[in-house]
Amino acid sequence: MNSSYSPIEGNSKSYKTKNKWHASRIKRSDGSEAGFLCCHCHAYVSSAEFLSRVHNRNHCPYCLWSRHLDLYDPGDRLSACKSTMMPIGLTVKFIAKKYGEGFGELMLVHSCSDCGHHSINRIAADDDSDLLLELFEASIRLKSNERRLLKLEGIEVLNGSQKKLVQAQLIRY
Amino acid sequence: MNSSSYSHDQGVVVKKNISNYHVRIHDHVEVCGMAMRLRKELSYSAENPNASKRVVRDVKGFDKTDPIVVGDRVIVANSADGMRAIIEILPRLNQLSRQDPAPGTHKFEQVIVANVDFILPVFAVADPTPKWGLLDRYLVSAESMQIPVIIVITKVDLINDRYRELELVLEMYQRIGYPVILTSSLKGTGMEELRHILSGRLSAFVGKSGVGKTALLNALELGLGLRMGRVGNGKIGKGRHTTSAAEMVPLSFGGDIIDTPGVREFALNNLDRKEIAKFFPEMRPFIGACKFRSDCRHDEEPGCAIRRAVMEGKIDPHRYQSYLTLIKEI
Repeated sequence: MNSSYSPIEGNSKSYKTKNKWHASRIKRSDGSEAGFLCCHCHAYVSSAEFLSRVHNRNHCPYCLWSRHLDLYDPGDRLSACKSTMMPIGLTVKFIAKKYGEGFGELMLVHSCSDCGHHSINRIAADDDSDLLLELFEASIRLKSNERRLLKLEGIEVLNGSQKKLVQAQLIRY
Repeated sequence: MNSSSYSHDQGVVVKKNISNYHVRIHDHVEVCGMAMRLRKELSYSAENPNASKRVVRDVKGFDKTDPIVVGDRVIVANSADGMRAIIEILPRLNQLSRQDPAPGTHKFEQVIVANVDFILPVFAVADPTPKWGLLDRYLVSAESMQIPVIIVITKVDLINDRYRELELVLEMYQRIGYPVILTSSLKGTGMEELRHILSGRLSAFVGKSGVGKTALLNALELGLGLRMGRVGNGKIGKGRHTTSAAEMVPLSFGGDIIDTPGVREFALNNLDRKEIAKFFPEMRPFIGACKFRSDCRHDEEPGCAIRRAVMEGKIDPHRYQSYLTLIKEI
């Protein structure tokens, strides 16, 4: 799952060793967030909306890992867990009439590596498509008890029969 | 006023203006000035240390902010020009202070009140919207000085269907151990409860502008007639800073209360980042139980007991976020 692309690898190391406080989030001079260093692959990820086409950057586009920062609502940053969240599969969120009848938006499913919390997140425009397909292939082999657990939480991970849907959606991005 | 009592008197500062102080000595209030030496930190010449008039060698420091605040116990004496002047400030039992919001590289301490028995942070149900982060700052500051706090909620007559949200927040503070009083100056709700608490004690109302601190005081002490403002003159939900100076008001049922001007910001002063968790009562049981013991900042460190407690629901996540905001600011 590690990304081969790491634009500021040297910098990320110096950030890490010098002061971990500043390692995760990088701010502009006006205090707004410019980006962050991925907690998994340590690549610099820009928060710029014109790159991701989403309001809130949720995960690293190079390795698809995320962090457990939100508790009740997306972006509330109230979670104290702060552990890494591993991408475990893809699902579809049905939003009425957004992409036509019976067609939903492809979403990433993350699982917290510490507390086991699951969340679904929008795929960003600059997410690595090959990695997303790899993830889909891997998620087909997801254990049945984990699928059941996710279903109880209202998350239905896509299975092998939905490959065409995944491919069709990923071409959009 | 008897001229014989004009030597050295002890009193309490009840009001201060730009150049003078109102000091309550026994039963009367006197207008006093301030001896300039209270502002300065002087160093004296080592020669002849027992001389009656020592020679000042240097002025080490000069306080930009006023060293005297309402609630201070002071010694008053006659000055050379025949005026009464405060010549000494007696040691304070406690004080509520913030970082002076004035711009500048050096952040001075601004003491708001001193020697109080209670701090009463006042927050309105609406107009202006309560900022719980500000309440947490008051609570931390009061905890650091071991001053008991009672949270006062005003304008309960404005309660609407969003009350459940407010109720949950107040329940959380009550669980931590902070008493909450719901009041309405308009309808007189909660006044008896408040009178019972304030009776015989020196307390201070603190809070944002427009929350109704002075209105509460006027409702508590009928006939007081302190000047009050209205919220929302062009700026929706914002106060107009009607009260511009702190003033101690004697209560007819016993005790005194200090009405303070509304604040926009309350930055903590003179607190160590490592000590902040200690001032969150609900975090105290978990301090020292972290993997990194006293070196843990309770932010991203692995094996942090406080973070675990937040995840287990023992500490409210909003309070934990307040804690993180405070340690990043200091």
